[in-house]
Amino acid sequence: MTDINISIGNATFKNQVFMASGTFGYGIELADTVNIGLLGAIITKSITLLPREGNPPPRIVETLSGMINSIGLANVGSETFVKEILPQYDKSFLPKVIVNIAGSTETEYCETLKLIESVSSNIIGYEINISCPNVSKGGMEFGIDADLTARLTEKLRKATDRLLIMKLSPNVTDITAIGKSAQEAGADAVSAINTVIGMSVDINSRTSNISTTYGGLSGPAIKPIGLAMVHKLFTALSIPVIGIGGIVNASDAVEYILAGATAIQVGTASFRDPNSGPEIVVGIESFLDTNKISNFNDLIGRLKTRNKSVTG
Amino acid sequence: MIIEDCEIVANTQLAAGLWEMSFRSSNISSQDLLPGQFISIQINENWERPLRRPMSIAGARQDVLSIIYKIFGSGTHELSKKIKGDSINILGPLGNNFTGWDSVKTPILIGGGVGLAPILFLHEHCQRMGIQSILIVGAKTGQEHFLSHDPSNRLYLTTDDGSIGVNGTVLDALQMLSISEKNGKLFACGPEMMLSTLQRFAISQNIQAQLAVESYMACGFGICQGCVIRRNSNRKSIDEHTYHQKYSLVCEDGPVYEANEVLFD
Repeated sequence: MTDINISIGNATFKNQVFMASGTFGYGIELADTVNIGLLGAIITKSITLLPREGNPPPRIVETLSGMINSIGLANVGSETFVKEILPQYDKSFLPKVIVNIAGSTETEYCETLKLIESVSSNIIGYEINISCPNVSKGGMEFGIDADLTARLTEKLRKATDRLLIMKLSPNVTDITAIGKSAQEAGADAVSAINTVIGMSVDINSRTSNISTTYGGLSGPAIKPIGLAMVHKLFTALSIPVIGIGGIVNASDAVEYILAGATAIQVGTASFRDPNSGPEIVVGIESFLDTNKISNFNDLIGRLKTRNKSVTG
Repeated sequence: MIIEDCEIVANTQLAAGLWEMSFRSSNISSQDLLPGQFISIQINENWERPLRRPMSIAGARQDVLSIIYKIFGSGTHELSKKIKGDSINILGPLGNNFTGWDSVKTPILIGGGVGLAPILFLHEHCQRMGIQSILIVGAKTGQEHFLSHDPSNRLYLTTDDGSIGVNGTVLDALQMLSISEKNGKLFACGPEMMLSTLQRFAISQNIQAQLAVESYMACGFGICQGCVIRRNSNRKSIDEHTYHQKYSLVCEDGPVYEANEVLFD
């Protein structure tokens, strides 16, 4: 048996398979259907300071090997989250919980985090969504600006000693610049990538298939983009990178790990089968056993360099 | 919620563009399946089409479940190519169900297009319980029908072109019924245009009606938050900072709604 425990910041996890924000609810809803105890961590749906209804329908459309969503951060809001959901993460709730926070102003992010910090709970840390493409203001504005990212990270860092992960957008020219800002401002890790801005058109009605015209593309269609971005971040940063984007099986997960991911997140795959996460945990273990890899850390970022003598 | 591989026992074309598939389910079929509920179907193992297709249960006899589907795109086209003995992965049962049909004298069941599926399942339940229902099925042309127009058995077909049954829509057939019959409760599923027409009719005539609506879904079990429909609220404007008051999740709160509960576009 390979040791697959991992550490990120001051947190340790039994394995590297996390459930991505927005694709596993608050982790509680699926506890009867899925063996959630097998998972490394669950990342909650984004919480905002106030409740949000989300965007008008249609909010989703399938595309080739992917889907576009524009949910618009529909959620119960921080107060209800603290009162009704947080207490359910008691000792009997097995996976570690990372709370995802979104906002449209610096104050909103900070107030939400402080409210959650103000009560005693078993959560292990926070993932900060600075990359949601589906809200009219905020969110993404932070994720595409290195200075705003640094300022927000710094403020949140001061407000918590728990694990702090900044979730990065692929919709930027240079993701490493944003990643470096987060790192310098005290983030423990970055996760990448959030969805890629996309669009789908109904040629009969001549309308976008999504009410907000554009949405966020996810699923296997974005895996090559996610892999490249994770590799760039791994090369440029010293803090851990958590890989996200189109992971549907253990082989996808190992690709991300070789590209530099310390942990990975399963997203869209859970919509088809909420058991995808636990299946990937088992699949990675069997890959490590088959290949006689005794320490999981020996796999992270161990991409072999191709012969560079090819010239144009 | 159960996920299982089922063996297809039949997959046949019923009428123009309309197919029926039945499959053997050992686990989902053992649940208490009610008319209006749906299951979600995985087209195949590869990820070209990542999402399942939500489909109403059209029938359940012992361990055999059936669905009725229309060929809309490449996914349903591929579904129509499956043959007896093939395996298909199903997730369910999901959603709520029609209610009150067993406590009115004459439930009026109305189906249009693939919306016929849950209506046939409800019809089967009415028959099983000895409840005399009226069944109205609408289509554009006679080629899209597979049942027979049979007013003596309270089964009315309608066609837009008049080639079979009542010339017109399901509303025209409904209006031909006697006043006492119309005072039953309506149970309908079909295209949004049909449902919104029936909704206006039911509200204006003060007739009770339940409508089963369709929506795109990524999951079907309350997680993706993608399948929302607008709630009908008396308040002119709703505070932006609410949750679940303006929109309802079709997969969990629905797909069956009272006619005055939801708003169509």
